[in-house]
Amino acid sequence: QQTLPSQPLGRRQPQHLRVPPSVSEEPGGRGRQRSPQSVPPGQDGRRPEGLQISAGFQELSLADRGGRRRDFHDLGVNTRQAIEHVQESKTGSSGITIKLTANYFRLTSRPQWALYQYHVDYSPEMEARRLRSALLFQHEELIGKTHAFDGSILFLPKKLGNKVSEVFSRTRNGENVKITITLTNELPPTSPTCLQFYNIIFRRLLKILNLQQIGRNYYNPSDPISIPNHRLMVWPGFTSSILQYEESIMLCTDVSHKVLRSETVLDFMYSLYYQVEEQRFRDTCAKELIGLIVLTKYNNRTYRVDDIDWDANPQCTFRKADGSEISYVDYYKRQYNQEITDLNQPVLISQSRRKRGSMMPGPVVLIPELCFLTGLTEKMRNDFNMMKDLAVHTRVPPEQRQREIGRLIDYIRKDDNVQKELRDWGLSFDSNLLSFTGRVVQGEKIFQAGNVFDYNPQFADWSKETRGAPLICAKPLDNWLLIYTRRNYDIANTLVQNLFKVTPSMGIRMNKATMIEVDDRTEAYLRVLQQSVTPETNIVFCVLSSSRKDKYDAIKKYLCTDCPIPSQCVMARTLSKPQTAMAIATKIALQMNCKMGGELWSVEIPLKQVMVVGIDCYHDTLSGKQSIAGFVASLNQTMTRWFSRCAVQGRGQELVDGLKACLQTAQRDWFKWNKYLPSRIIVYRDGVGDGQLNTLVNYEVPQFLDCLKSVGKDYNPRLSVIVVKKRVNTRFFAQSGGALKNPPPGTVVDVEVTRPEWYDFFIVSQAVRSGCVSPTHYNVIYDTSKLKPDHLQRLTYKLCHMYYNWSGVIRVPAPCQYAHKLAFLVGQSIHREPNLLLSDRLYYL
Amino acid sequence: MDKNFQEEQFTGIIKFTPPLYEQRYQFIKDLVGKYKPKKVADLGCADCTLLWMLKFCSCIEVLAGLDICASVMKEKMHRLSPLPVDYLQPAERSLTVTLHHGSVAHKDPCMLGFDLVTCIELIEHLEESELKKFPEVVFGFMAPSVVVISTPNSEFNPLLPGVTLFRHPDHKFEWNRAQFQSWALETARCYGYSVEFTGVGHPPTGMENVGFCTQIGVFVRKYAQTSESAQSEKPTEAVYKTVFKAVYPSLKDEKYLQNAVVSEVIFRAQIIKRSLLDRLMSEHEEYNDDPAEGKFKFQPSKNCSSEDLGKLIVEKSMGPFVDGNMVYIPLTTIFSFPKVNRLCGTFEKLCKLIAGKVTLSSDGSAVMLNTEHENEEN
Repeated sequence: QQTLPSQPLGRRQPQHLRVPPSVSEEPGGRGRQRSPQSVPPGQDGRRPEGLQISAGFQELSLADRGGRRRDFHDLGVNTRQAIEHVQESKTGSSGITIKLTANYFRLTSRPQWALYQYHVDYSPEMEARRLRSALLFQHEELIGKTHAFDGSILFLPKKLGNKVSEVFSRTRNGENVKITITLTNELPPTSPTCLQFYNIIFRRLLKILNLQQIGRNYYNPSDPISIPNHRLMVWPGFTSSILQYEESIMLCTDVSHKVLRSETVLDFMYSLYYQVEEQRFRDTCAKELIGLIVLTKYNNRTYRVDDIDWDANPQCTFRKADGSEISYVDYYKRQYNQEITDLNQPVLISQSRRKRGSMMPGPVVLIPELCFLTGLTEKMRNDFNMMKDLAVHTRVPPEQRQREIGRLIDYIRKDDNVQKELRDWGLSFDSNLLSFTGRVVQGEKIFQAGNVFDYNPQFADWSKETRGAPLICAKPLDNWLLIYTRRNYDIANTLVQNLFKVTPSMGIRMNKATMIEVDDRTEAYLRVLQQSVTPETNIVFCVLSSSRKDKYDAIKKYLCTDCPIPSQCVMARTLSKPQTAMAIATKIALQMNCKMGGELWSVEIPLKQVMVVGIDCYHDTLSGKQSIAGFVASLNQTMTRWFSRCAVQGRGQELVDGLKACLQTAQRDWFKWNKYLPSRIIVYRDGVGDGQLNTLVNYEVPQFLDCLKSVGKDYNPRLSVIVVKKRVNTRFFAQSGGALKNPPPGTVVDVEVTRPEWYDFFIVSQAVRSGCVSPTHYNVIYDTSKLKPDHLQRLTYKLCHMYYNWSGVIRVPAPCQYAHKLAFLVGQSIHREPNLLLSDRLYYL
Repeated sequence: MDKNFQEEQFTGIIKFTPPLYEQRYQFIKDLVGKYKPKKVADLGCADCTLLWMLKFCSCIEVLAGLDICASVMKEKMHRLSPLPVDYLQPAERSLTVTLHHGSVAHKDPCMLGFDLVTCIELIEHLEESELKKFPEVVFGFMAPSVVVISTPNSEFNPLLPGVTLFRHPDHKFEWNRAQFQSWALETARCYGYSVEFTGVGHPPTGMENVGFCTQIGVFVRKYAQTSESAQSEKPTEAVYKTVFKAVYPSLKDEKYLQNAVVSEVIFRAQIIKRSLLDRLMSEHEEYNDDPAEGKFKFQPSKNCSSEDLGKLIVEKSMGPFVDGNMVYIPLTTIFSFPKVNRLCGTFEKLCKLIAGKVTLSSDGSAVMLNTEHENEEN
């Protein structure tokens, strides 16, 4: 069945009309090629081909942006202006100050700097862009050496004498042309066009430095790190963006690493073929490959694999732009001299998202043999050894990170061409990292059943301090099943003994498990579950002998939907090491307790009647391309119990409908627990991609408000919606003595590197053992709470202490991490909504 | 190669399919296929489209472009840079691409030693003085084995709508066939070349007498040049300015070759190790259902030191085996893989390339890998 979108042509003859990726630059002749009598640009609805920046900056285009490409920086979403109580100030006050530097450099311009935008008209109309440029630049004495021109729009760093200038030029044929140059705009340094303009200049600069563009970033191919064990290559590189931040326009640049793989998709398919059974091969291929980004052998483009077409092969034909039909084999041979040797391989389908010229965005066909994989597959991410080997190279400690970032800015300052260009435009970069003052808020005390624990805030971990202490609420293990295969009998037995040793001090009452031996087959496990699980069963424990996912999935699916009972699956290997057995038994006991509805610890939460919500998404690329939103809401004052539900969203559906239903149920459950409704609701929204902020503000928030309104006339709770972002390029360094270190957990930054149009802040909540800590960005996009920024920051930090699967502080508020766990479990294993009978327990941990 | 053209006689508009410029480039590509030149220069390379197409031709090791206008070259020159994939899988051949800013009326030693020089739609842009110097520079000084020159055929112009004088405002002249051929024959005679005439862009039916839309002369040097004598007579200073240079990664470069070999050796060794361990594991399970899974050790069949084992490998050319925590995979086994074999050529070369980069047994005859740290945690 065709899953391709209905491109008008594609519907008629799908097998023939998909195009291979087009030549990145269609041969355009040598400027001597006659084009068919065309309408002058600007009059035929065609966009101008892109603004050209002078002096070799030509191929970069300004007009390219806006509308067509996604705005990764969410420019123009001004949410702060609607939040009354942060108009004056959005900064907090508590904590002790700390001197910080960040990976930002100020971009400075001359005082009263502006970019002048002119419109250029020709009479008679001149059609060729190059000719238009040549005619205009005959008047360099008027417009000056520094200019950017795309054929109709001209940017200058200076203002011309008159608003409208008329000049005359002569073509080589002796024709006289009148050129009218009209001032249309005076752009301040902070205008979006100027920002784009800075970014273009900067990217050009990275190219001059011989860095290779892959996706959005630039990498240095000349000194790759090779990891042959896993056929990986790592290229060091940089991310960069220039934006308007709180006080000034700055360049944010960070060290980035690109993982590339020295094998083609076809190589990968072959090695997979030898690893899995024939009938599972296609599924496995799809699972491993779909969603991955590939690089092609013949151009500098990356494509996302969206589908694999097993019915097609390289001998299939497609229709070229000129109407002739050609097979992929012949096309690649002719166009790129690329020999395709395997004629039976399937083809990869990529849905082009970007409109290119006059071409309709449509599916693009890629040949596996000509594509290289980039990034990591799901399997690789789960490969502990691989990740360890990678981390050695990709985790850069603060000192080294700062050095590498500094090197980039050094290059910039030393390159004459770049310096000249910047000077001509009246721009320059600061040579030092941005430095400013942050705050470290006070550490939290951990409360656990009458005990109060302090811990070393540097490590942000209290597993040692609280080991063996009684829990807030311990659920008994009166009636539980332990299922294992024959080979793992000893392991299972040892586990029970160890649990008997560790549970009493926690206050967990425990009976001996009902031990059940099974064959190591999925059906055998399921049969045992069907026969032995009763409504009295507290929890089911399965010792699995391999990391085969299907068994795990089947068990989870059955126990989360058909027969809602908490379950714990552990790999035999994890339990087999004597030196860690007790620590693991402790961890398992805690985890099982949470799954059954127990509570471990709490921190002080001064805010009353507040319901905290966490939302995260999982995008299932495989089965039906559905997305799952995990939704978690607090049920009690201490935030130790959580309601959960998830919204499964098919393709093309809006996620928000499901979220509304989740919020309604959460309110109902809150009422059941508390006998009143929450007066405040604080939503932490994770899983928002770059450029999606607008959708959130315009669709999701109004739906939440609607939902709350529908509860009743007199019910008018205060709502805060906070977008949580873990993947940011911002890095903070703390100066400690002469050295640079990671800022300590609890560091809050709400100045300088935040955005003026947002109510946003950064918190470093976690501690890392190696590399640089990554701060989490919080953007309050809606807020009627009237809570002081300081209180909201504190609450957020407190919530990072409440994730029960980790006796320490994590990167995000606990509800986000719970929501993530839930969405992941449903997306990976269950694929439909879990039974609501489980909804008041952390069964998804 | 089929030179299709479509002619819509009723409208009188001639449209070439594929477009004429593509036909010209294809003509050059076909010529490259025929002569297999190693060094190719494109004079008047403009936006480098032809060079970009030629970089995919695997026989070419040196590509050079020359143009009088630096900004046109710079516009798209970065597409001549190596692609990420060229680094991921370095090619066998070496390739250097250079762009020069300068005039075909000037001599520069960087243009010496080429096998093929192309001048596509170039000469009609030259001023009279430049055109006069052009033969001496290209045929006399550069003196490549083959020169290709294409230029508009003015006899075709009446069929092109809207062309009054020349096809392009920058053309200084457009020749008919007789004019071009007499200039070409004279040039060829003068510098010891033979020339053949052809073209692209067929005229419509019934109009065959006007000839091709683009006329092409292919010049082949008659006598092989003794390169030394040729170059020693030509002491010239560099007058061109290099605006771009890209050296492609190649296996001819020891650094890339070593990388490739080490990667392949380790990868192969890992595969052998895994299949060996899997086999031992399943045998073990079949005959001895020991529940203490992770604990058993692979015992070598003989109780002898690893040096002895090393000798055994050489003497009896044993396959891979396990000793304690280590897996030994003889280099001979690894060398027998076609890709390793092809990369290294000889066994000695293999040993030399991986020395110090791969952990070997004490006598250097086998790759040593640890059986531990397979999936320590989950």
